[in-house]
Amino acid sequence: MAGNGSGRHLDHWLALQSPGSGAPWGCRIESVGVKLPGQRLTTRELMSQTSHHTRIQLERLTGIHERHVVGPGEDSFTLATGAARDCLAHSQHQAPDIEMLISTSITRSRGRSSQSFEPPLSLFVKQAIGAARAVNFDLSNACAGMLTGVFLLQDLITRGEISCGMVVSGEYISHLSWNAARQIRSVFSKQLASLTLGDAGAAVIVERAPKGGGIEVIGFTTLAAHSRLCLAFPSTVGPGAQMYTKSRTLQKVAIEDMAPLVAEVIGEAGIDLDAIDYLIPHQTSARAIRKGTEEFARRLGARPKHVVVNLEEYGNTSSTTLFVALHKYLQEGRIRKGDRVMLLALASGIEIGMAIFTIDSQVDRYGRTH
Amino acid sequence: MGARIEAAAALTGHGRRKASARHLADAAARACLTNAGKEPGDVDLLINAGVYREDNMGEPALAALIQEDIGANLGQPPAGGRGTFSFDLINGTCGVISAIQLESGLLQSGVIRLGAIVTSDVDPQLKDPAAVPFRPAGGAMLLGWDGTGTGFTDFAAETYPEYQDLFGSGLVWQERQGLRVSRRTAGRSQMVIDARPGYHARLADCAEESARRFLRRLGMGVGEIDLLVPAPSTPDFLDALRLRLGVPGDRVAYVAEDLADAYTSAPIAALQAAIRSGRLGEARNTLMLAAGAGITVTLALYRRAPGPAALG
Repeated sequence: MAGNGSGRHLDHWLALQSPGSGAPWGCRIESVGVKLPGQRLTTRELMSQTSHHTRIQLERLTGIHERHVVGPGEDSFTLATGAARDCLAHSQHQAPDIEMLISTSITRSRGRSSQSFEPPLSLFVKQAIGAARAVNFDLSNACAGMLTGVFLLQDLITRGEISCGMVVSGEYISHLSWNAARQIRSVFSKQLASLTLGDAGAAVIVERAPKGGGIEVIGFTTLAAHSRLCLAFPSTVGPGAQMYTKSRTLQKVAIEDMAPLVAEVIGEAGIDLDAIDYLIPHQTSARAIRKGTEEFARRLGARPKHVVVNLEEYGNTSSTTLFVALHKYLQEGRIRKGDRVMLLALASGIEIGMAIFTIDSQVDRYGRTH
Repeated sequence: MGARIEAAAALTGHGRRKASARHLADAAARACLTNAGKEPGDVDLLINAGVYREDNMGEPALAALIQEDIGANLGQPPAGGRGTFSFDLINGTCGVISAIQLESGLLQSGVIRLGAIVTSDVDPQLKDPAAVPFRPAGGAMLLGWDGTGTGFTDFAAETYPEYQDLFGSGLVWQERQGLRVSRRTAGRSQMVIDARPGYHARLADCAEESARRFLRRLGMGVGEIDLLVPAPSTPDFLDALRLRLGVPGDRVAYVAEDLADAYTSAPIAALQAAIRSGRLGEARNTLMLAAGAGITVTLALYRRAPGPAALG
């Protein structure tokens, strides 16, 4: 009944992978790439264009000063492709080395199509970057998409089925903000969270590492009792989608249920929370992140050394937030070799995913000298 | 050793109510769990590989809603409890085999003990209903690990991007015209499916090429394939493929008539037919093959351990 008999983790709530599972290889994050649209939109500019006088102090509520938004000719596909190219530029791999390419955008706009279904977006990205031999498919897991892709590649790599894979996402999601701006009336609107979104592409290459090296632990679960707290559908107000979020309930549930899951992950890694140098959580609002961190500290008796918040500059870039933040901190030299990082995905579903790893030589290919 | 098929179920929408992708997937998942004698809470991983939904919901993953509907581990996470992880995978008709490959790996490494794959598609509400290439249908299958030798052992996926324009689909914004257009209903996102002539013929070309390459890699001949489980099951693809590969008709898992136009559920419908007829249990080597947009071809080899025939 058991798999290869070496790594059952069924005493956990999360689906968990760690080097202790007895897999022959490790899996490490080799490089991260980002593509940000050149155009920026401040919160003040966005809120000045709402159809109704809302009195919402969005910047004060969320900590978001501005976000990048696409310009003419840009869409999910161009952002994903740009990020994949940037990722390769920071990598020791060439495109033909990539054996699996997973595209995880929530938005899949390409050309005249505001949301493409077939062929998968991953096919066009792999064509554009020249990853001809990569097996490709798309994955949709809301804002947890990219980390879900890493979770899947980790299993393939640690078992030795492949040695190098890429996860990519291009999120042209700011149309939700415009559609919300046309309808929103007050701070109690279920479309409030749509005003926090920004556009970005991100990509990550993961590769085979020596046994025991690389990602220390990665785990996921879906708290499906709360699956309807955040829903997005095509809009009738304007092109793209509109999203309805019960933000307060979502935040409450996430804080309540996430602490035991964080305890599972750090327990599997054999560390305390204060051994994490940088916690990179999904970027929703500065206030929510602060509150969540305080709650973890209260319940787990320790806190990470730094909690990354980059909302001021980018807003919530949906499935790309974790890797946009990691890229920024690598690029600015703020995360250094030897630092232990924890990525924490939180998404509609409710999807919760976490990964812990230590920064190694990949840091050498970032910064001004690169 | 490999990931063993515990059960498969496929169904179409019946009755007066308009089919919903979620309800079709829910019903198929429940039927599949009943067939396998499993509880929803036994499912560790649930992958939804369906594509076309009535509402084109972008988030959350439809899999999360299906997990909630069937009641798979909905409690609050306590220490030492057990959860379910759900997400959507999008790869058209090839999605089921992509999902089987991922779940097989996670079963092998012991991360999960039971994996579910669900599918469903409904009428995407095209302007020209005659252009709908499929019938509403749902499917579900369960995978467990078999230490005795029966299960999926090998996989392949190939794309032929030179044919990427032969089949495409997506939402296109269309503004409403007229005096009664309000700000709240300025337009709608219309699903557009563009299927070019010759698509199915090229599917058969690519499927044959990939199947031969896959079998060569495994050191097998077509004659060693006891059962072909193909998707789609449309005659212009399947007849051409069967003839080219030289697979006799009695070695093909043909689906029931009401499931003949299933889309992402087609591989599961074919598996269900193979299980019901007892042929999956008899076949030493079963080749699952799916071909779809891209053009993408996915393949999986399912081997039965030597010994008496088994259910799956």
